Amino acid sequence: MNLNTTRRGLVILVPAIFALTGCARDADSGFSGDASSVNEITHSLWTYSWLAAAVVGVFTAILIVWPAIFHRAPKNGPEFPKQTQYNVPVEIAYTLIPFIIVAVMFYYTAVKENQIVKPQGNVKHEIVVTGFQWSWQFTYLDAGKDVTLTGTPAKPPVLVVPQGERVRYTINSNDVVHGFWIPEFMIQMQNLPGVTNTLEITANNLGDFPGVCNIFCGRNHAQMRFTVRVVTPAEYQKYISNLKLEIEKAS
Amino acid sequence: MTTYAQREATEGFESSTVAPTSKGRHFVRFITSTDHKTIGYLYLMTTFAWFLIGGVLALVLRAELTRPGMQFISNEQYNQVFTMHGTIMLLMFATPLFVGFANVIMPLQIGAADVAFPRLNMLSYWIYLFGGIMAFAGFLSPGGAASFGWTAYAPLSNSQYSPGIGGDLWIVGLAIGGIGTILGGVNFITTIFTMRAPGMTMFRMSIFSWNVLLTSILVLLAFPPLAAALLALESDRLFGSHIFDPANGGAMLWQHLFWFFGHPEVYILALPFFGIATEILPVFSRKPIFGYKGLIAATIAISALSVSVWAHHMFASGQVLLPFFSFMTFLIGIPTGVKFFNWIGTMWRGHVTFETPMLWVMGFLITFLFGGLTGIILASPPLDFAVSASYFVVAHFHYVLFGTVVFAMFAGFYFWWPKMTGRMLNERLGKIHFWTLFFGFHTTFLIQHWLGIKGFPRRYADYLATDGFTTMNMISTVGSILLALSMIPFAINVWITRKSPLVNCDDPWGYGASLEWATSCPPPRHNFLTMPRIRSERPAFDLHHPHIKTEGH
Repeated sequence: MNLNTTRRGLVILVPAIFALTGCARDADSGFSGDASSVNEITHSLWTYSWLAAAVVGVFTAILIVWPAIFHRAPKNGPEFPKQTQYNVPVEIAYTLIPFIIVAVMFYYTAVKENQIVKPQGNVKHEIVVTGFQWSWQFTYLDAGKDVTLTGTPAKPPVLVVPQGERVRYTINSNDVVHGFWIPEFMIQMQNLPGVTNTLEITANNLGDFPGVCNIFCGRNHAQMRFTVRVVTPAEYQKYISNLKLEIEKAS
Repeated sequence: MTTYAQREATEGFESSTVAPTSKGRHFVRFITSTDHKTIGYLYLMTTFAWFLIGGVLALVLRAELTRPGMQFISNEQYNQVFTMHGTIMLLMFATPLFVGFANVIMPLQIGAADVAFPRLNMLSYWIYLFGGIMAFAGFLSPGGAASFGWTAYAPLSNSQYSPGIGGDLWIVGLAIGGIGTILGGVNFITTIFTMRAPGMTMFRMSIFSWNVLLTSILVLLAFPPLAAALLALESDRLFGSHIFDPANGGAMLWQHLFWFFGHPEVYILALPFFGIATEILPVFSRKPIFGYKGLIAATIAISALSVSVWAHHMFASGQVLLPFFSFMTFLIGIPTGVKFFNWIGTMWRGHVTFETPMLWVMGFLITFLFGGLTGIILASPPLDFAVSASYFVVAHFHYVLFGTVVFAMFAGFYFWWPKMTGRMLNERLGKIHFWTLFFGFHTTFLIQHWLGIKGFPRRYADYLATDGFTTMNMISTVGSILLALSMIPFAINVWITRKSPLVNCDDPWGYGASLEWATSCPPPRHNFLTMPRIRSERPAFDLHHPHIKTEGH
């Protein structure tokens, strides 16, 4: 009887897991696979982590619901079931198998986080991203220390970056902690007062993408937004020289 | 009341407690009591009141977020409301709720007459209440309540960026309230180590009491650093010291100190409620807990690991050692998984029945499972870079904390209500309550994962119509209304059962395992008139079902 129950369980369990996790794989992962150099690194980790989570989650959920349905107290049977308290092989299995799963996840995590945070050396441009209450200041160091664009909460600034060229962002803050987050690029970094962070990103696709401050920074936190505009390298050069001219004219 | 009075009379004990004769005397006796059960009830009632206040604040947030644009409140008011929502739910509701359950149940489970320091216990309660009211009183001050988030990141929380008495009330109120929690932890540890009944060895102690012990140890590790950090922050604000000055690395110092408290705090909130679930599952499966010793080992492992993972809240700061904190965080998944299999193994081939407490535990298992899995996702720094500080994280921690604290709290209320009051709650209303809350909760928070992935940052008072967040926010708000409405069947339940017949027995559920089910409902002043033999981790079960043998392996 026990063997039968187990077999019947497997017949239902195994296809159910495949069906449900299959759905997870086909669903919109929520992120672009190639919008930036970070997406190229992280997107597969995102997808496969969810796949692993879905397998574990569906398996565990079925194990939770299974006794709730099939191991109910019998109406006319004996009052008590067998009073099993320990099963050492099963206990070892459910300790070791999760260890293997997280070891694999940690291996890919460690490899990929290193690829994201490690400086690569082939940087073409440098932009300083300064957060302040409650907007952003972008300084294009290629064109000089004064070539700066400053936004306001009412008029959020545009961060213009060249397509396909690696940019090093120097991230800091003038006052409180802010968060430099470009959701489309799967990347964020805190703007810390008194500390300088750097981040290298290559943007791959032309277009406008929203950027936000995501570390709470005071009254108008929700207005501390910006737009990332990815343009061709030629347009980028044009934008930089125009910005430079405007600033010289203003001064 | 009459239950034990009668028993005492028939069994020849002279009652030292005189039943109060008027409502006023009853009230005075209640607030001056040093009885651990009465103090526990004070904690449970006070925390539930804070839960309702925090819930109303959450509804204000949800109402404001339903549509783009500011409809009801200003940015500044929104910031005050979410700051106080987080503060109330974590530090005035969930943490003292642990103290409440531990006070009522733990001495009964270990066969003690009271806690080790009853008057200190009472003092802890009044300190907690005072600290909580003080932090909340910021709403009455001219500048309003604290508005720097419950994480109070420096330097936003200093006097330059957040002037106003509301912030000072918040800081000092939490420091005072924290002292109450620390004293509670001291009391519980001493009680468990020194006041267990004869025969109650550590490895016969029920899982809830084990978890109270480990939680109390975490309290002693986590709350003193918080109190110190808060007082240092207040010194910066009040006396102009430079402890959290960004020029001296103060921005990172605060994050480290805060999360060194903040992460163990998550387990301070989770472990006691895991304990409640672990008490209920065996009773309604008519089996002993599966893998009892492995479960204790898992809880010890979680407690130990929980003090070494704080910087996973700071992955995006660019200033922490990613692989170490990521690996430790992943490791916590293993003992947590062990717990899940212990719970499943307890039900497996049991005789499972679905009285209301068991239904709540099932709700906890399903909800916390999903919260745990998104926790594993967030343990990976590259994935954290993609969704940290977004609504994905908001959804994650509500699945973890609401899934654990609120589901297990109601499970505990329905389970121990007869032990506390002598009367059962209504089963049908309990089930309506459960299903309303379950669907309300999941409608509110499941959708927030997608909001986060699509780029909605947490703590935003507003968003743009062009963001594409409107529909998801509307669904979430509708869910929160359902969630709020689920409190009505519970209120009706408490009201209509206030005079229902007394259960008049030790164990109304029939299969209770731990020692509290071997004394009357409610228990007498000093808990036990006779102490049963304690020869396993199920003394009450052994007493009531002496013919049933446990099979070791």
